Amino acid sequence: MDLIVFSVAVLFTSVGAGVVGAILGLGGGILLIPILTIFYRVDLHYAMGASIISVIATSSGAAASYLRTGLSNLRVGLFLVMATITGALLGAFLSRVVPVHVLELILGLALSYSAFTIIKQLQDELPTHLSEDPLAVRFGLEGRYHDLRLDREVAYRARRVTGGFAAMFGAGLLSGMLGIGSGAFKVLAMDYLMRLPMKVSTATSNFMIGLTAAASAGVYFSRGDINVLIVAPVAMGVLGGAYLGTMLMARMHNTTVRKLFLPVVVYLALSMILRGLGIHLL
Amino acid sequence: MSKARRPGSGHVPAVELLVARTLLVGGLLGIALILVGGGLYAAHGGFHHHLLQLSRPSGAAPAGVYTSVRQVLDGLQRRPVDPLALTALGLVALMATPILAVALAIPGFLQAGDRRYAAIAGIVLALLVVSLAAVGGIH
Repeated sequence: MDLIVFSVAVLFTSVGAGVVGAILGLGGGILLIPILTIFYRVDLHYAMGASIISVIATSSGAAASYLRTGLSNLRVGLFLVMATITGALLGAFLSRVVPVHVLELILGLALSYSAFTIIKQLQDELPTHLSEDPLAVRFGLEGRYHDLRLDREVAYRARRVTGGFAAMFGAGLLSGMLGIGSGAFKVLAMDYLMRLPMKVSTATSNFMIGLTAAASAGVYFSRGDINVLIVAPVAMGVLGGAYLGTMLMARMHNTTVRKLFLPVVVYLALSMILRGLGIHLL
Repeated sequence: MSKARRPGSGHVPAVELLVARTLLVGGLLGIALILVGGGLYAAHGGFHHHLLQLSRPSGAAPAGVYTSVRQVLDGLQRRPVDPLALTALGLVALMATPILAVALAIPGFLQAGDRRYAAIAGIVLALLVVSLAAVGGIH
């Protein structure tokens, strides 16, 4: 393909991926990998290399803005990312021992269940009362932000900190074993288990995914999966898109963000179940 | 602690601001290097005589693939400078940015008198370094 046509087309595609990634707290890999491989015929390894860089770019762009507006909670992010990285490290070692198909099936079923929990709380704009979880108090897993949509201050405190921490560890473990991103699970754990406002959940996930991606980017780099000519337009587009996404998300209802998030979980659930049954979509 | 975030004042706590600025500057620096490298590559006619290889060859790395920071630095020392190495340096800067942000959060938390979170940021930084080293060793 002609390089200049490719670069411009990928740049614009990546802006879209950055917007979606920043709003939903995902790296955009879930969108970018299929688009790059199916529409642009990019090698899967190069697409995954581009995706890991796009996660870092989305995270830097989005978190820089969310941290200023108070939507990203730095303490919650750092606290939980300890569990995720530890899980991912362990998962990378375990990946040779545990049968992958079984894991994929379990994950697919867990995600299907999550989809139902999202549907159940689809109309909940904000958690109704502040949690009294002593761990949340002790570790300062709380905060407030000015919600542009509701035009008021929103104060929140995490519930079920132990459960959330364990879920983050599990998310890291699975992502390490299966080689998939864990942005969606981070959001689910914060929104559903810990009952943080949905916007805080995706914004904080945006901060966390950059850290977990940076930890694994070195592998892709040394394997030769990062092709500068493919990654450069992706990185630029995604970073720009992420800025745009943060502006849009700040003005959305929590329920809107959750509605946008639902199809992603359904898609992930289906693709994991299919993978578990030996059918790879890619 | 997060109580320091005063309601309605638009006040951003110093640590959050420091991390946000690091992410912003690192991201923009990365993009600037990518742009300069891409511009030089275009000026040297790279975009015209080059058809992009989208499949990954098993043998020697094609143009645009660097597998170590050393290779990137070698490309930068070449005269005339390898424009794609400059772009690769931008990507390395992008990858290093979140790690640097966590490293800077440690003194940031200490200054805010939050030793607990200085320690947590330290643990996260150590985990990041370990996974960069360990995961690289497995594959």
